[in-house]
Amino acid sequence: MRAVACQRGKMAALRAGLLTRALTKGNTPGIPNIILGTRAASGPSKDMLPGSYPRTPEETAAAAKKYNMTLEDYKPYPDDGMGYGDYPLLPERSQQERDPWYQWDHPDLRRNWGEPMHWDFDMYIRNRVDTSPSPVEWRTMRNQLLGFVGFMLLMFGLGEMFPCYQPVAPKQYPYSELYLERGGDPEKEPEPLKHYEI
Amino acid sequence: MATYKEAPLATRPKTLDPAEYFNLSPDYRRAEEKRAALRAQLKRQYLQQLNNPHRKELIEDPALTRWTYARTNNNYFRPTAKTSLIGGLFGVLPLFVLYVVFKTDRDKREAKIKAGTYERPYNLST
Repeated sequence: MRAVACQRGKMAALRAGLLTRALTKGNTPGIPNIILGTRAASGPSKDMLPGSYPRTPEETAAAAKKYNMTLEDYKPYPDDGMGYGDYPLLPERSQQERDPWYQWDHPDLRRNWGEPMHWDFDMYIRNRVDTSPSPVEWRTMRNQLLGFVGFMLLMFGLGEMFPCYQPVAPKQYPYSELYLERGGDPEKEPEPLKHYEI
Repeated sequence: MATYKEAPLATRPKTLDPAEYFNLSPDYRRAEEKRAALRAQLKRQYLQQLNNPHRKELIEDPALTRWTYARTNNNYFRPTAKTSLIGGLFGVLPLFVLYVVFKTDRDKREAKIKAGTYERPYNLST
C-alpha cells in the first residue's frame, strides 16, 4: 500500500512539473490568465464580445455593427485606461424616462431585445437611480436642503457651546433633609438648614 | 399632439415632439431611417425566436452577454497616471489615514485612562 501511494505521489509530482514547464515555456500567459480567460466554445465568438478601443475607422465601423448601433450614434468611452474598451458611451438616462406606453420586449426594464445596454444599466433600472425631470430645479432643491441641514447643524452646535436652561437648584427635602430617614441618630439634634434668605 | 402638456415629472415623449415632424433635414431623416431599420431587424429576430413553436430554450440576448462580459472582465484596464492616482487615493491612502486616525484617538484615550481623567460616556452605574 505504502509503495503504491508513493508511486502515485511521484506521478502527481511529475505531472505537476510537466504542467509547470509547459506553462512557463515560451509566450504562454500565467495561470490566472489561463483560468479566467478560458471560455466555452458554446458561448459567443471573440468578435461578438467587447474588444479594445477602436483605433482605425474600420474598427469603429465593425464595433458599431457589433453593438447594433448606427455609425453616427456609436461613440466609445475615451481611452484613458479605465477599462471600458470599445463599449459605447450611451446617454445617461434612466429607464424610467422611456416611453411607458410602447410595447417593449422587456416591459419592466423598458428595453428591447438586442438593444445596447448602458454601462451602468443596473443603476438606471426603474427601482434605482432616476434621471426624470424633477418638479423643482435640482439647484434649488440642493440649495434648500443644504441650507436647512446647515442651519440646523449650526444651531445645534451653538446650543452645545452655549447651553441655556431654566435655573435649577438641588432638591430640598423636609425634616432637615430627611435626617431620620437617612439613618441619622435620633438622640442627636440635626443642625437646622436654611434654604432661604430674607 | 396639440393637447399634450408636459407635467413636472413627464418629459415630452419623442413621438409627440413637434421637432420630429416639422422642418426635418434629409440627413436627420436618413439617420432616423437607419435607426428604425436596425430596431426593426432586432425586433424581427426576437419575435421569430419568441413565436417559434419548436423553441424549448431561453432566448439568449447577445447585448446582455456583451454587457456582462464588459463589466466583469476588466481586460482593458491600463495603469495610467489617472488610474494610478485613483487607485492610490481610494485604495492605499485610506489604509494609512485610518491607521493614523485610530491610533491617535486610542492613544489619547489610553493616556486619559492612565491619568484617571477619562469620563466614561455611556456609563450607566453612577
